Amino acid sequence: MISRRTVLGTGALAAATLAAPSILHAQTKTLKITTWGGKWGDIMKATVLPAFEKEFKCTVSADQAFPYVPKLQASPKNDPLYDVLHTNSNEQWNCFTEGLVMDKITPKEAPNVADVYPWAASDKIVGVAIFTSAIGLGFRTDKGLTKPTSWKDLADPKLAGARGSYIIPVNSLGQCHLMMLGKIYGKGLQDLDAAYKALEQLKPIKLVDFTGQMEKMLLSGEVSMGVIHDSGVYRYDGQNQPVDFASPSEGVMALEQVLNVTPGSKVKELAFAYVDYMLRPDTQKLLAEGVWYSPANKKVKLDAKYDEKLLTTEAKVATLIQPDWKWYNARKEDIDARVTKILKG
Amino acid sequence: MAVASRPSPIAWLLAPALLLFVLFFVLPFGVMAMMSFYSGNPVTNPNAFLTTRHYERFVFDTAGIYHDALWSTLRIGLITTIVSLLIGYPLAHWMARMQSRLGHALVLMAVIAPMLTGIVVRTFAWMTILQDKGVINTLLIDWGIVSKPLPLMYNEFGTVVALVHIYVPFMVLTLTGVIGRIDERLEQAARSLGAGRLRAFVEVTLPLSLPGILAGSLLVFALSISAYVTPSLMGGTDVLTLPMLIAQQVGTSFNPNFAGALGVVLLLVSLAIVVAYNRILARLSGEQGLA
Repeated sequence: MISRRTVLGTGALAAATLAAPSILHAQTKTLKITTWGGKWGDIMKATVLPAFEKEFKCTVSADQAFPYVPKLQASPKNDPLYDVLHTNSNEQWNCFTEGLVMDKITPKEAPNVADVYPWAASDKIVGVAIFTSAIGLGFRTDKGLTKPTSWKDLADPKLAGARGSYIIPVNSLGQCHLMMLGKIYGKGLQDLDAAYKALEQLKPIKLVDFTGQMEKMLLSGEVSMGVIHDSGVYRYDGQNQPVDFASPSEGVMALEQVLNVTPGSKVKELAFAYVDYMLRPDTQKLLAEGVWYSPANKKVKLDAKYDEKLLTTEAKVATLIQPDWKWYNARKEDIDARVTKILKG
Repeated sequence: MAVASRPSPIAWLLAPALLLFVLFFVLPFGVMAMMSFYSGNPVTNPNAFLTTRHYERFVFDTAGIYHDALWSTLRIGLITTIVSLLIGYPLAHWMARMQSRLGHALVLMAVIAPMLTGIVVRTFAWMTILQDKGVINTLLIDWGIVSKPLPLMYNEFGTVVALVHIYVPFMVLTLTGVIGRIDERLEQAARSLGAGRLRAFVEVTLPLSLPGILAGSLLVFALSISAYVTPSLMGGTDVLTLPMLIAQQVGTSFNPNFAGALGVVLLLVSLAIVVAYNRILARLSGEQGLA
């Protein structure tokens, strides 16, 4: 006969067994991060994040639903939605201005920061950059075009209606291109009058709001030459696509992938550990070769095919031009209105 | 006495709908409206203060783009609604009068089928058809009919085409129900009294279907003026609508307060148009208010 004590004892044991994973889970720290989707997201979810979770005995909650900054803005600063924010540099500067992210991440917090190229921790960066792409010109190789050598080649009259760039208010590559126009046709990256004049001369031009769309426009032949980052072209390497990337002689603009920690994070040590982990040479190599990003860590040794094309030496990274996003963001509303009027119609 | 003051069972049945309305419309709209009168987010920024500057920015429009964007939004909404009505009405009439159940089911499936695909996918499909290297322009150039691509995309035309494709089913489904309930014998009576097909339609069927026209038009208009993905992908540099500006303000300028003000302006202007439209149709049909 089953006694009441036996029933109660068995029930308690069963309840403890069932509750064990959630009790364990409650004791495990959770790191909340943002990260990209696509191929990058696949590598992160399949390899990088599970390895991090295993090593640091934590769980990582990764948000891939862009845009991240408005969500971070809406959360309390003392209990932010993210512990680590991964965005491009322009957005990090916005967050920094609002006190949503830290100023710098130093080797004291993440030892691998000591090994990054100067651009990755320069005064143009808040937080620390983990990768960069080079913004230059993508072009079709089957349209009889000679490989562009200058940004001015995009203004070739033959490319009327077949050149492409971005909707400047919503895309940082478009914003970089505008600043580059100021440098090429005026006194420098901040010569907006020269940039506006040059932009007017580029009409008719096809504008898109994200780089994936530019890739499709180049692949379909909808544009013959367009502003794009090297990764957006190199990722089709080996697929026999008639597209190539050119680095203009005036320099390429940097499209940095930046990590930063939120000051109100409750798991700051784990957040710094994640930043450090992302800067480890093996993590850097895996992601750099997976998505054709140039690594920030100087110690990374890429396979020859990647090493040849990506910015992996001091000489190559010297061609990178980093925009002053603090300056740009302060004028963004005026710039947005001006370029919208220029490009409309 | 106490029993009489209790809410009726029907009122309790309405409670979920009311709760849904409050939670997913009144509350978000209230927050948005409140944010539009603040300089920042008052929850996270203790220095945020009350201001009307976001509305002043829109009203005085020193940037010279906001009024244009509002006009563009309304114009696209109106054109999309009119074209959807012109395409949808005959189709709905045909469906409502169809005798064959199988035929009706097949046409209904054809009308609903596009709705089974996401808006982004349908818009990308239109891009492959209308872009410069798209199906239509490639064929026209290959056949020697035109020498350079026709401007079918990156403008209002392409935007309206894609929006009409997306919203015609809403118009058809709304109209079919209303037209189906109109007694066919009324039309037959008009014809037996000497009215031709057209006159019987114009003087009998059309006025009786005005509630459907109103409901379908309001639905399509509301969806069109709030569309974001399609104008963004199809419009190129030529189209700038208020939803696009709102998305820019939230997603890249990180200014939810101004975005809130733009949202309130869009809602108020839309409501004014809806009320005016309702009154005009009511007057035309001789009724006092159709909706």
